[in-house]
Amino acid sequence: MRDLQTVFKSKYGNKYAIQLLSIFVFILLWHVFVVVAREGILSIPIFRLSDIPTPSETGFALINSLFTEQHGPVISHGLIDHMIASLTRVVEGFILAFIVGVPIGLVIGYSRVAENVLSPVIEITRQIPPMAWIPIALFVFIYGRVIFIVFIGVVFPLILNTSSGVKSVDLKLIESAQTMGANKPQILTKVIIPASLPSILTGSRIGLGVGWMCIVAAEMLADIPVGLGYHVWNMAYIGRYAEMVATMCVIGLIGYLMNGAILITDGRLLKWR
Amino acid sequence: MALVANNLLKEFESFIAIKDVSFRVKDGEFVCIIGPSGCGKTTLLRMIAGLEKITGGEILLDGRGVVKPGKDRGFVFQEYTLFPWRTAQKNVEFGLEIQGMGKNERKELAKKYIDLVGLSGFESRYPKELSGGMQQRVAIARSLVNNPEILLMDEPFGALDAQTRNLMQVELLRMWEKEHKTILFVTHSVDEAVFLADRVIVMTTAPGGIREIVEVKVDRPRIRTDTEVNRVRDRLLSLLNISYKESFGD
Repeated sequence: MRDLQTVFKSKYGNKYAIQLLSIFVFILLWHVFVVVAREGILSIPIFRLSDIPTPSETGFALINSLFTEQHGPVISHGLIDHMIASLTRVVEGFILAFIVGVPIGLVIGYSRVAENVLSPVIEITRQIPPMAWIPIALFVFIYGRVIFIVFIGVVFPLILNTSSGVKSVDLKLIESAQTMGANKPQILTKVIIPASLPSILTGSRIGLGVGWMCIVAAEMLADIPVGLGYHVWNMAYIGRYAEMVATMCVIGLIGYLMNGAILITDGRLLKWR
Repeated sequence: MALVANNLLKEFESFIAIKDVSFRVKDGEFVCIIGPSGCGKTTLLRMIAGLEKITGGEILLDGRGVVKPGKDRGFVFQEYTLFPWRTAQKNVEFGLEIQGMGKNERKELAKKYIDLVGLSGFESRYPKELSGGMQQRVAIARSLVNNPEILLMDEPFGALDAQTRNLMQVELLRMWEKEHKTILFVTHSVDEAVFLADRVIVMTTAPGGIREIVEVKVDRPRIRTDTEVNRVRDRLLSLLNISYKESFGD
């Protein structure tokens, strides 16, 4: 495909080789940076740099926590438990947000009246960062606080993208359906929804990203003893920085994989684009 | 009488688009509508399709008044109206699904029309994998499969290159000879109208009205450069020139 990057292409390098190399260089620089800091060569007064773990320490901590189950007064769950807990919450929060958000988005896109009724409240509420909902979640919800926060994070991108998808459906598609005898419900299910599907998927991908980021902070603050967010905080609290950073990497990796999964779904479902 | 239009009036907020338009279309006839840009020919067609509200007058299809869109009046737009998420086959099946036809029956009937429009072998392609001409063939099949009483076509070949356009005109006539659907075809092109139509409605502009209806009494297949054909072409062009003179003054 001809785009700006292909026009100004330089002669060097295979795409995958360069990407792998850059990750490798990053890890190397990270390692060097920490070693240098520890040796006292590099010390900037306002930073305590020596506590940062090296890549190898992080790697070992990761493998260690994946394959051993430690139980004690402070640590009561293994890394796998945390991963499952966080993933479960994000999936549940996402499903709830989808069930609520997509229909609302459809209605707003379809009906000007609905838009006028619902938009003001939605526009104002969505300016409140999901984190700001945590105190309310703490005293309203006995169960499902984190799921609620995820819900808040996911639902707004879904509503916005869905409604914008509906609004951008080519009128001629709808008129074609009308001239073939379709009634309103048929137009909704056979034209509007399929046509809006790309936007719904984009909204899902963005929403999921937001939801995943919310999870971490929500778990830290919502006083729950299991979850990746909690684990990061706990490891920092007891000084196990290697495990802390390892957990951060796991969080990042899972986010990356979820994003990729939706992109693949997008590619498969929407091969007609 | 398939279609009767009586004293049609179409007003928009700021101007009158169509005024005093009356005409008839016989069963099985191929009628073209030509006129200067902006004369309201597309608006007229859309009113017949039920896609635009009628401000005054009436439209009768087989004696029944028509107001809303429906499968009795098929419509083919100029471009980009295939459902991109459906294959050619599935696009053609759309109207049949709407009617609740069974799966196998649908498939067979759709296949029949895909063959009719000359697209056998391309059923499983998505619209993005089809050329403009092919897409229009699918659009035509998609409308015909619902057995409309009249087929309304709004410059269906306008977005195609000249050669494909000429080819599609021949193809359309070939398809038409099979079932002899009543067709009302809007076009900018006098050549196209002369080649295709039994009768040509020539419109005036501002407000849109009918200047004259010209009969094309030439047997098909027509030779585009034939003397008789040229005579009709000449007549139509002069009618249109008068129309242009009228709108721009002299």
